[in-house]
Amino acid sequence: MSVNPGRRRFLGGAAAAGVAASSMNMDILKAESLSNELKKNGKRVLLLWLAGGASQLETWDPKPGRLTGGPYQAIQTSLPGVQISELMPKMATRLHNTALIRSLNTQIGDHGGGARLMHLGRRDEPNLKYPDMGSVLARELGRPDLQVPDYVSFYTATEGRGNAVGQPGFLGARYAPMFLTTDNKPAHLSRLEDITDLDHKERADLRQLLSNRFAKGRVSESLGSHNVAYGRVRGLMSSEKLFDLSDEPQKIKDRYGNSLFAQQAMVARRLVEAGTPFVKVARAWWDSHGQNFETHLELVTELDHVMSTLLDDLEERGLLEDTLVITLAEFGRTPTINASLGRDHFARAWSASLTGCGIKGGTVFGATDEDGQHVKDNEIGAAELFATIYKAVGIDPHHEYFVGSRPIPLVDPGTHAIDEVLA
Amino acid sequence: MFQADPQNFRELKTTTRPDIMLRMVRNEDSGEIYVGSSDANVYRVDPMAETPEFLPFQGHTSYVMGLVDTGKMIVSGSYDKSLIWWNKETQEQVRRVELAHDRWVRNLTITPDKKHVLSVSDDMVCKVWDAESGDLVRELKSHVKVTEHGFPNMLYAAAVSPDGKLIATVDRIAKIKIWDFATGEELKELEAPKCYTWDSKARIHAIGGIRSVAFSPDGTQLAVGGIGQIGNVDHLGAAGRVELFDVASGEKLHMFEGDDKHKGLVEQIVFHPSGKWIMAVGGDHGGWIQFMDLDKKEVIKQVKAPMHVHQIAVTSDFSMAYGAGHNRLAVWSFVPEEKTEG
Repeated sequence: MSVNPGRRRFLGGAAAAGVAASSMNMDILKAESLSNELKKNGKRVLLLWLAGGASQLETWDPKPGRLTGGPYQAIQTSLPGVQISELMPKMATRLHNTALIRSLNTQIGDHGGGARLMHLGRRDEPNLKYPDMGSVLARELGRPDLQVPDYVSFYTATEGRGNAVGQPGFLGARYAPMFLTTDNKPAHLSRLEDITDLDHKERADLRQLLSNRFAKGRVSESLGSHNVAYGRVRGLMSSEKLFDLSDEPQKIKDRYGNSLFAQQAMVARRLVEAGTPFVKVARAWWDSHGQNFETHLELVTELDHVMSTLLDDLEERGLLEDTLVITLAEFGRTPTINASLGRDHFARAWSASLTGCGIKGGTVFGATDEDGQHVKDNEIGAAELFATIYKAVGIDPHHEYFVGSRPIPLVDPGTHAIDEVLA
Repeated sequence: MFQADPQNFRELKTTTRPDIMLRMVRNEDSGEIYVGSSDANVYRVDPMAETPEFLPFQGHTSYVMGLVDTGKMIVSGSYDKSLIWWNKETQEQVRRVELAHDRWVRNLTITPDKKHVLSVSDDMVCKVWDAESGDLVRELKSHVKVTEHGFPNMLYAAAVSPDGKLIATVDRIAKIKIWDFATGEELKELEAPKCYTWDSKARIHAIGGIRSVAFSPDGTQLAVGGIGQIGNVDHLGAAGRVELFDVASGEKLHMFEGDDKHKGLVEQIVFHPSGKWIMAVGGDHGGWIQFMDLDKKEVIKQVKAPMHVHQIAVTSDFSMAYGAGHNRLAVWSFVPEEKTEG
């Protein structure tokens, strides 16, 4: 079996350091990884997480004229022959930067399991805690020279929040998300007024001194990770202004609107503009078992406005080229309409969208049958989608991490990115 | 005159269909039944036939959400934003108003003299049309288009008073407007806020709204129907709710609620001609018919329906009722079952 250069470097580094597997090893790997070039390129990912499961039929894959189609019509988009739901008139005129994937079959139809799968890109393993997409991207795309958080996650609604995995796993706490749930600004990020800047710095130095003393002669995965995380505190504190929209021009605020989702999307744009490599904005809760069409009239209308405004804003600032915007959920919704005029959980044939960085805009990959009950062309799972996302931002999806001596590829072995949607 | 008694109400027959039957109208003279379907067709059907045949009227492209009988013609309205006047015999379109509204048509009603058809839509306008010519007579506008939480409002239903002088319209955020039919002037705004659930914390969206409205036979009372406050807005998880108002004063007279076994939306309210009781139909995953005594101010009977009921048509003598609903057409009777002697 051949050993790839990354592994050789890793083994060499590990031998030199005389340590076994630890998150410190991951940092050695990081210093030498192929992602150095990427970091300079400033690629970012912005995930719009449609928590609870948005309906593909009322968004990206309408079935007009079928009993499963629901009441809304399909409208022509800027792509010849491609239609989306009439609830998305703004996105319909902007599909030139977007690739639609209409052939996800992810098989897991419960919220918790589905959300884990669509955050990790793979199923859990009993003895290994995988990092989620955000942590991987934070590690691969985060720039140590920038004083911004690497991974910010917004989830304000309470329903399903526990399913929105923010898990650095074996990458260590350094790549854990800044998880915002109650406010659009991080709590306790400001320096307390009764502590001077000098005091604060000296406290950090003291903590480091004690920590170094404690670490002497010890090998600790968590300690290494802990120290790296603490080392970023002052940088994160200085990025507080990114979360404060008061200095955002009124014209921009007006374009986004006042909804919570819009405000968070605006903060997300500020973060990626400042260099944050991964931001997740969760919009909950789409779980429309009853009154699917009313719920989607509310939520898709909002999504259409916020997403189109966000894409315009990114494009006008020259950021879209380097920012990948994803819409994704734990699953879609059943084509069959229940008696409460609702749609239930459905993981067998559903959709996601990819826009911007690395994406061949104006493409549609995969197709479902005429009622939307099954994938008929180009079925893919979570792993293929994750491979595509990684490749779109320049990360080799077959790149390997090591936990101990065990190589862990970014995506499951044998998985390939969807080259048809990649630029 | 037949004296209908809710206690004798019983199911006679159901017919299963693959589509959702959303609206129904019955011609009192001919006894013909028309249904509006999720497959975009209007159908004429004899539900009592051994194997009912559904004769299609094809022309809409989405759910048929409104259906009235002008006597000479059937008028339908749809999520495709159009209204169509149909020749009953030939199933041909006599007239089509392609863009009757800017957004989806939610319901139609007709004046007691059958001279005007009213349509309501998510453009939040109630339009009054000449039933014969199809000319637009009047527009009633004042329901807000956007809720205070920034979401689209929805205009669900309208009713005309028995004397033809008043119109009532009801919306998503549980506002009730009363209008002067002759002038189009808004006379009064009432509300039934319990019918609208806004979840600001767990799921950050809404559910509910007032879905049905009817004037009492003497025109003094107005009943509106929907669903009560819901804990989990993913489901229709609260009892159906009917609120009764005094039209002149605007005072809320009473609130009727079914029990926990009869959850869901009140899709339609029908007053008995005596004015003593009302029927409310609707449902969630299942369906029901509830009878409410207006003197006793209590729900006197609740009957499980074979499907979520979207609309019913009752014969003028209240001996029979026909229902359109989720994948089924049903027939009920108020006539007591004959007891076999022996």
